[in-house]
Amino acid sequence: MSDNDTDQRAERLAELREKFGRHPVEPKKPFHQGASLRDRQPRFCALESGHRACQGCGEALAARLVMECAGPDVMVANATGCLEVFTTPWPQSAWQVPWVHSLFENSAAVASGMEAAMKARGKNTKILAFGGDGGTYDIGFQALSGMLERYHNILYVCYDNEAYMNTGIQRSSSTPHAASTTTSPAGPERMGKRHLKKDLLGIIAAHHIPYSASASVAYPADLQRKVRYAMGINGPTFLVVHSPCPLGWKHDSHLTIEVARRAVECGLFPIVEMERGELANVMPIREVRPVKDYLALQGRFGHLMKPDDPRAVEELTHLQALADYNITYFNLRGEGEDPADTVGISQVARDRAAGEA
Amino acid sequence: MVVINRGAHAEPGTSLEFKTGNWRSSECPVHVHAKAPCHAACPAGEDQQAWFAWLQEGHVEEAWRELVSKNPLPSVTGRVCPHPCETACNRTSIDSALAIHNVERWLGDEAVAKGWAYPVEAPAEDAPCVAIVGAGPGGLSAAYHCLRNGLRAEIFEALPEAGGLLRSAIPPTRLPRPALDAELNRLLALPGIKLNLRCKLGRDVGLDELKHSHAAVILAPGCGLSKEWNIDGAVPTDLHEGLHLLREFMDHGEFPEARRVAVHGGGNTAIDLCRLMKRHGVEQVTLITASALPGPDTDPEDLINVVPRELEEALEEGIEIIEHATVKRLIMKGSRMTGVEIVALKKLLGTDGRMHRVQFEGTERVVSVDMVIPCIGERVDPEGMHNLMNRWHYLDARDRWSRTPQENVHAIGDARGDRGTVAEAIGDGRLAVEAVAARLQGRADPVEDTRPEMPASGLNPVYFGRISRTAVPKLPVAERTFEAEIEGDIGRMAALREATRCLSCGNCLACDNCWVMCPDNAVIKTAELASDGSHYVFDLDFCKGCGICAKECPTGFIQMAEDTWHEGD
Repeated sequence: MSDNDTDQRAERLAELREKFGRHPVEPKKPFHQGASLRDRQPRFCALESGHRACQGCGEALAARLVMECAGPDVMVANATGCLEVFTTPWPQSAWQVPWVHSLFENSAAVASGMEAAMKARGKNTKILAFGGDGGTYDIGFQALSGMLERYHNILYVCYDNEAYMNTGIQRSSSTPHAASTTTSPAGPERMGKRHLKKDLLGIIAAHHIPYSASASVAYPADLQRKVRYAMGINGPTFLVVHSPCPLGWKHDSHLTIEVARRAVECGLFPIVEMERGELANVMPIREVRPVKDYLALQGRFGHLMKPDDPRAVEELTHLQALADYNITYFNLRGEGEDPADTVGISQVARDRAAGEA
Repeated sequence: MVVINRGAHAEPGTSLEFKTGNWRSSECPVHVHAKAPCHAACPAGEDQQAWFAWLQEGHVEEAWRELVSKNPLPSVTGRVCPHPCETACNRTSIDSALAIHNVERWLGDEAVAKGWAYPVEAPAEDAPCVAIVGAGPGGLSAAYHCLRNGLRAEIFEALPEAGGLLRSAIPPTRLPRPALDAELNRLLALPGIKLNLRCKLGRDVGLDELKHSHAAVILAPGCGLSKEWNIDGAVPTDLHEGLHLLREFMDHGEFPEARRVAVHGGGNTAIDLCRLMKRHGVEQVTLITASALPGPDTDPEDLINVVPRELEEALEEGIEIIEHATVKRLIMKGSRMTGVEIVALKKLLGTDGRMHRVQFEGTERVVSVDMVIPCIGERVDPEGMHNLMNRWHYLDARDRWSRTPQENVHAIGDARGDRGTVAEAIGDGRLAVEAVAARLQGRADPVEDTRPEMPASGLNPVYFGRISRTAVPKLPVAERTFEAEIEGDIGRMAALREATRCLSCGNCLACDNCWVMCPDNAVIKTAELASDGSHYVFDLDFCKGCGICAKECPTGFIQMAEDTWHEGD
């Protein structure tokens, strides 16, 4: 090959690169190494500010809390859903760790591949798989089941906001009984969703994986303890986090934590831990609330707040019965005061070290 | 030519550049250090929340220093104060109020025992000097606050000892003299306070003279005379007035002979007198009061004006109290009294829009007693201050700084007529001196604290568990004497435990809730104190105004306010 040919090829290559390739860019300064207050936060921030989540988004909060204690050496496979949409609008990203957007149904499968690849390269990087309740309870369920069955070393976190919020509040199999959504509207025919919320943890338990648990954004300390525990396990682990959606549940944005807390306190969302499919631990409720306290804050249950309507009363009583069933089934009443129960775990006190110079 | 296509320009960007986009509400969170209700209710102006915060951190001396920045006599008020702070405490909405009163006493005693130095410096040699008439709680507080404001103080006291009514009218069972002396002597030993004893206004020194020789005059004479009392013009031949009897008893330890006594009145002097007489051996002591005893439906306006625990103790000791009644007639056998006729009475709103005491005909009954003691209140001894008296026989103080019509003359404490507690006198002393200091610096008024008060509804009680109130040790009725203090010390452990019950109303306790629960990561934690005294700053670039931080703030320190953020701030 002549020199001329070589020159021509190099020229053509340069031309193509100019047209289609990536421009060489200055390497961006890594985040969190500057001198500003934001850069010196005493926690690992993998999900940065500036994402497009709605005001008071429970899922954004839950994801940040999970990432904080999952630590820097992780990679994330994220199913399609709110979390994926609001964190990564082109060309920006709120993630500060390697992050892959999978399809709606296959984040568990993509994560399995990532885990296998890391294993092949001899790396210990932990793989996280994220999905909403739609991507977990419904669409991605067989991929999740396969991942658990193949025993991949992955922590799967389901952010449960109890409907397809990203596409416009359609009911999912996680939507609670009697909740009104765009595809299960309350009206003359039905009082919201006809069916029950799927007992996903029960199905996960049947896989006999090392660890699975439920948590709530209302109890960050409990949630983070569970993430840390799961990160230490070599094998499939599963966490479902109750994350209110102000838009879909129709409550004020400042009530996100309050709504999540009442869901736990009334018994409708039991906080439990399972090891090898056996119930290992529960968060006891110190003062059990009636479910009405929880439902009354949310527009999606507004149709139940009519004491004169016998159908509303029936469904309200039904939900109370479901909560009572959970309380009995998981023995959520506890025995006496417990520092890890719903009241004990929330308590605050002045930090004695705060006043030290 | 540069060809733009998507692939070529998909440079990695960070969402930090996006800020909140168009997601903003009209509100943003702000830190508001509202007044804790205990602070707002304290007549002496103490910030109980602030000193409990020091206790929570285990800094006992700092707590005391914070406390005495307003009230120099915690050992005294911790024994005699009716503690409106506890009545106001927001903790009542969770379980029961903090034992602020008892912790205050423990702190005061601790300071005396350990000899902690008052947070004052000696004033300059040529500093202006304020004349203070009366060495009661008001006068002593004024003298102390002179030092805190860089002034010197000269006190003129008519009696041979300082203390005012603390010494003359409060029984040692409530305020043991060693405790009183210890705290008083430490205060009076401060450099810059000069005390002239046996120096009476009008006799040894004149008001005009003081106005001339000093930068300002603060009158704190207290109320030395009993109000005049008679029943339709009749008085028993051997009339003893309550305050006088109490003083006599403090000096000599004797009461006049009597088997059955009726005390007419409804204040702390009346209750003290009843209890002392009962303990002295009087068979039957009856208090006749126009006010009401505390009950579930009692109107606070109508309630008997007595420290609640004193009332409780009096009832324990067997004092009979007849509420809503007054003495209508004295029943005499010759010059000897055999009984009083009493009649039911209530304060009712009249057609003229004012409260009137209405007696109800047909409710008269006779209580047989051989002595009746009026205890209906005190008035100012006007000697040397005649032209400052108002028509109710009190000194004419006109504003919260106790200014009188005469320039540079303030009248504080009981002598104002609208005060009635030691704590109010202590608060008056501080405010009057602040006004004097402001004037000397050329300002019209001292800076007022206009912060709002934090109501219980502003807190998030979810974050506070129930902790029972510390029980205060008390002498059993059978062991009560004239000297032994009835209420006991709660001690260090109980005081520190009690401090953990403080809800820190309106002030940051660094719980991290806002930092942990912000979905947008817009709360930033600082290792140092932020400018507003908390450990957090809001990064409004990223705040969408959801309000979670304000809702989940346990103490109400975060509130939502109008969003003032502008692009590029």
